[in-house]
Amino acid sequence: MPASASWASRPEDLVESLSSLDNTARLKAIRDVKNQIIGNKTKKLSYIKLGAVPRVVEILASDTEVPLLVQSAAAVGSFACGTDAGVRAVLDSGVLPHLLKMLQNGDTQVAEACARSLKMIFHSPLAPKSDMFQGHRMELLLKLLNHGNESVAEVAARVLARCCETKEHQLALANAGGLQSLVSLLAGSIKIREASLDALAALTKNNKHLSEMVIKLDNGDALASIIRLIKDKSSLTRLLACMCLANIGKACPGGYSQESEVRADMLSILMRLLDEPGQAGQDAPGVLADLVANNEELQKAAADQNAVEKLADFLLRKEVPSKQLEGVLLGLSELCSKLENSRRQLLDLQDLKSFNTSLALAAPLLLRPMVHGSLVAALRHPCDGVKVAACACVRSLSRSVKNLRTSLTSEQFVRPLLQLINDPSPAVQAEALTAVGNIVLDFTPQKSVIMQTDGIAQLINLAQSMDHTLRRNAVLALKNFLFMADITVKHRVIAELTIPTLCDLIQDPEEEVQEQAITLVRNLVHGEPDSIEQIFSDGGLLFQAIEKQLINPRPDIALQALYVINNVVSGSEVHKEAVMTSILSSQLASNTSWLTRFLQDTSNPQLRVVAVWCIINLLYPAGEDISSRVVRLREAGVEAQLHKMVDDSCLDVKSHVRTALEMYFGIRHIDGLQCI
Amino acid sequence: MSMVHIGMMQSSSKKVITKEEWEKKLSEVKIRKEDMNRLVMNFLVTEGYVEAAEKFQHESGTQPDIDLGTITDRMAVRKAVQCGQVEDAIEKVNDLNPEILDTNPQLFFHLQQQRLIELIRAGKVEEALEFAQEELAPRGEENHAFLEELERTVALLAFDDASTCPVKEVKELLDNAQRQKTASELNAAILTSQSHEKDPKLPSLLKMLIWAQNQLDEKASYPRINDLVNATLEEPVT
Repeated sequence: MPASASWASRPEDLVESLSSLDNTARLKAIRDVKNQIIGNKTKKLSYIKLGAVPRVVEILASDTEVPLLVQSAAAVGSFACGTDAGVRAVLDSGVLPHLLKMLQNGDTQVAEACARSLKMIFHSPLAPKSDMFQGHRMELLLKLLNHGNESVAEVAARVLARCCETKEHQLALANAGGLQSLVSLLAGSIKIREASLDALAALTKNNKHLSEMVIKLDNGDALASIIRLIKDKSSLTRLLACMCLANIGKACPGGYSQESEVRADMLSILMRLLDEPGQAGQDAPGVLADLVANNEELQKAAADQNAVEKLADFLLRKEVPSKQLEGVLLGLSELCSKLENSRRQLLDLQDLKSFNTSLALAAPLLLRPMVHGSLVAALRHPCDGVKVAACACVRSLSRSVKNLRTSLTSEQFVRPLLQLINDPSPAVQAEALTAVGNIVLDFTPQKSVIMQTDGIAQLINLAQSMDHTLRRNAVLALKNFLFMADITVKHRVIAELTIPTLCDLIQDPEEEVQEQAITLVRNLVHGEPDSIEQIFSDGGLLFQAIEKQLINPRPDIALQALYVINNVVSGSEVHKEAVMTSILSSQLASNTSWLTRFLQDTSNPQLRVVAVWCIINLLYPAGEDISSRVVRLREAGVEAQLHKMVDDSCLDVKSHVRTALEMYFGIRHIDGLQCI
Repeated sequence: MSMVHIGMMQSSSKKVITKEEWEKKLSEVKIRKEDMNRLVMNFLVTEGYVEAAEKFQHESGTQPDIDLGTITDRMAVRKAVQCGQVEDAIEKVNDLNPEILDTNPQLFFHLQQQRLIELIRAGKVEEALEFAQEELAPRGEENHAFLEELERTVALLAFDDASTCPVKEVKELLDNAQRQKTASELNAAILTSQSHEKDPKLPSLLKMLIWAQNQLDEKASYPRINDLVNATLEEPVT
């Protein structure tokens, strides 16, 4: 054995020697440090504390001898491997520009060593991503994709894969010819191929335009190569190829002819990859989630292959890496997004392992649905991604009325969800809000929890957030909370939210917030006259806000406002008269009332259906003002318009028009009015 | 119904293929010489027979699928482990590619464990204890499976002459086979890092041959290869 058992030399002295003026001593020191820290987290941390990193980087920055450069690059890479503290330390020492410069070093050994270090840095989420779009770095990386040395080309692809997180970055890369270069790497060795697939997956993620480009590239040959790779011998290649195709399929559904067969193949391949050790197995659930997203047929096929049970099994395991857990929850959320059977299956899964060890006689009582505890634990996970995925999963499960009444009633879900709507991460808040929105729909147990806690105040607070997604989701949750709620709940929400705030939300700069706010009013004024009365409190501010939205150029928003009016008009005589006044004053102001305008709108038959309903409600039940209303409606041209609609192309409209006209006829008959 | 019937008929009377027919069919299958040569080269390269690979390249003109220089490096690493010079092997691997041991905790642990074994073998008890405490104990804390292996290794220290240890699992650690095991694990990791498959293709081809013969046995009687070393065709059983 060599005399200098390096683990026995004093670390302080070694660090000192890193800055020695003697080249040989420096080389020996850097090599020793490198050999001590590789594979050894404890040593890495202790050398970082001793200040070794800046000295190592200094060698890379100012030395010229190949062995020194190679050893220092390797040491940098090792410091950056496996610990966040290491990544931070090397980045803080300003290593990035030096590594990038050295990638072009004439000596392959140096270039290769720097490439590996860069790869380590970019393996970490701490890597500076948008920095790579500064100056000519992108062009450099694209050029390096064709580098003769495999490690250099590989790392160029890996860094590109990690960097393009926004649509702008994706597009910038593609415009610089990135797609073509990456595709040509698919024919390379296994590492190059995997790096290239990784980058292609990153470029196509949520990007329809680039997905289409990949499909069309080389007359479909590029796509065909990727499809071939889903059956590759290497499990990681199979996974990455599936990831690519799942991204393409999600961004651009039905984008190529053999898609449905490829998807079916991918499903069974991914199901088998779930059990694979290492990265392939860890990433498989997330890819599976993307594959079955928005595809009910595939969700069914996955359920037939026992995907729910298989994924749920990971929830029970200990020490599942966060990324894998996130994927598992997203997968379950997609599988349960539409299929009631899958939801049922997931909630009914029993913890058979604990069953076997428990006393058989008491067993029926001890058998508890197993996923509950795991889901609640996931809602409290330290990692944002897991929390988002857990919320998504609860949201999918809560789409089922049955689950809301039975399995999800317990406070155990509502409380952590309410906590999450105050989470520091906006992504977590938004997803938690959506889940809360579903859970509060219609059923009393959850509503009472919200009423008891400061849930309403929290939701109202978020409804005034600067982030419009949060605003939208908070209003959505409040809207659902008001759905079929009793009058005390409605009073309390309006008292806390206040009418002026609600009016602001109805006129929010974001249309999706407007729409939710209007539907909130729709739920508010649904039902008893007491409920309806609320739209006229505070001097009728709320009614005026809704009136303005009746003439919104966006038909879906105007439609929601019309639904509000329809709820109001089904109330008392006073309510009917208020709507009547609104119709007539809009007639005066612009010659055609909003009601007539809806009746004449051909863009969406639903608008005409609801407008006719409003008329029916105006005429029913026949109160004391009925004959005057009939006259006023006729003067406003409504009756004539109805006559024009007896042969409407929409059957629904047609039958409602007929009902309305019959009511007219009936009323006239009673009052002895003259027929036309 | 009738399909099932036919199926049963066939299985009860297997088709017989004579040796002549079989050989005629075999001669119809054209296998390119270059493909055969590449299979041989793949075997030589993966198993690390660098001189044979060089000669074979020279004689057959077959290009190796890897730089032959890297085989020499890989073999030097393997040899160092086989000779008990683990630290030397670790330094060599780290020069070859620092990623290998940094991203493969299990392999790194096994190498450190081997280092401990060599210290114990050399009777350096104090050094061994210090090494176990300094280097191996932290790895044991990170991973429970490592801890168990570490405990098993440290048990060697309980005996003045470890070769007299009564516990088989502990005594085995001193066997040459343990060095071989560590050396192959390292060899495989180096091959993987070089984008090369860690096993040669030939053995898996033989496995496929056996599988195919077993499948065929159920349907036909044919000249089977039982002696894989000489590949002699047996007479079909009738």
